[in-house]
Amino acid sequence: MPEYIRSGSVEEAVGLIAEHGSSLWIMGGGTIVMQVLESGADYWQYIMGLDGLALDGIERANGSWRLGATATATQIRAQPDLPALAAAARMVGGPALQNAATVGGNIYARSPQGDLAVVLLALDARLHLATADGEQAPSLGEFYDDWEAAGRTPPGLLTAIEFAEPAGEVVFMKCGRRRFNSASVISVAVNVAQKDGKVTEARIALCGAGPHAQRCAAAEEAILGGKLDDAAIARAAAAAAAACAPVTDTVASEWYRRRMVGVYLRRALAQLA
Amino acid sequence: MTTKVLRLNVNGEDTLVPVGPMATLQEVLRDKLELTSVKVGCAQGGCGSCSVLIDGELRLACLTPAEAADGCTVTTLEGLNESNSIVPIQQSFIENYAAQCGFCTPGMLVATKALLERNPKPSRDEIIEALSGNLCRCTGYLPIIKAVEDAAAALSGKQSA
Repeated sequence: MPEYIRSGSVEEAVGLIAEHGSSLWIMGGGTIVMQVLESGADYWQYIMGLDGLALDGIERANGSWRLGATATATQIRAQPDLPALAAAARMVGGPALQNAATVGGNIYARSPQGDLAVVLLALDARLHLATADGEQAPSLGEFYDDWEAAGRTPPGLLTAIEFAEPAGEVVFMKCGRRRFNSASVISVAVNVAQKDGKVTEARIALCGAGPHAQRCAAAEEAILGGKLDDAAIARAAAAAAAACAPVTDTVASEWYRRRMVGVYLRRALAQLA
Repeated sequence: MTTKVLRLNVNGEDTLVPVGPMATLQEVLRDKLELTSVKVGCAQGGCGSCSVLIDGELRLACLTPAEAADGCTVTTLEGLNESNSIVPIQQSFIENYAAQCGFCTPGMLVATKALLERNPKPSRDEIIEALSGNLCRCTGYLPIIKAVEDAAAALSGKQSA
């Protein structure tokens, strides 16, 4: 089994990540790491816990939010001014799991986990990564591209997630097998700004519809610039269902997920029409 | 194999426990400290049968590396029993036939205790959500929900219907 290690500071953590590379796995609340270890996989030499680094603050200042990487789902669901993100946090496992699960861990979660990440994509969040080469601040979308290109090796330590106060309305919807404590079949998050009856900004993200939560450009293009009417919503739903790449697993089949992407995206956008 | 010695306060008692690499808190509580109210159900964070309080907060012992709990206060159902603070909840579970095989019951009681500490008069919906992480394969949940409603009423001084 791997050895559990802690670091005394962010700098020390970054040093350990650089030194040990892919033989070290970073653990937030343990809800992902411990499941994987329990399944018998032990490819790692070290599991690095982040307790003691005080990365769990939630701050709101000058029109933007900053969530510490180890802020828990319980902390996030208690934020009334972030209703979509709070709704997603409420859908993460049961209350005991929410007390452990961290927002940073959710970004690295494997599909169909990632209900917080899908909202963060719709919010156009930026990550703060402490690396051996200094601080990086990629958008969440850029981060996923780089992460996949690097064989899912984290570039450094995720310390915080930042996003501007949303200009538009944000809606999160999840299709699960039960009302609570259920893995997602899929989930969707939409952030739409409208002016003079026209859609001026659209961010649509899907979870459970690819290897990790991701934006869906085809669905965004289907509603941008026009009126958010039934026809536009139907076009966006069809575009998302066609463009997404879900998998079949024990939660749901690829076919069912694709259908639900269309259904839930339509329902989410209808709330904003 | 490196063994580390952890300092835990378990059910009010300071304890030094030697643990192997990545031992779970569940293993330590059950196998080393013989606190067998902590069940091994799914071991994936899905069933709630290993629910314990860590520094007063409801947590899952299966997903907690014992080393991450070093220096913490851990309370299992056995600890709640000692202080008798769980008795009205247990009584309500008995009266409502809220246990059949009993496997999920310790977790249900710990989760109920955590709920009532935070929210002494929960609504039915709040009870359902608070117990959503605890699976029961026997009762169909209705007697459990009723037991928690009655326990909340009894503890907050009201007569239950």
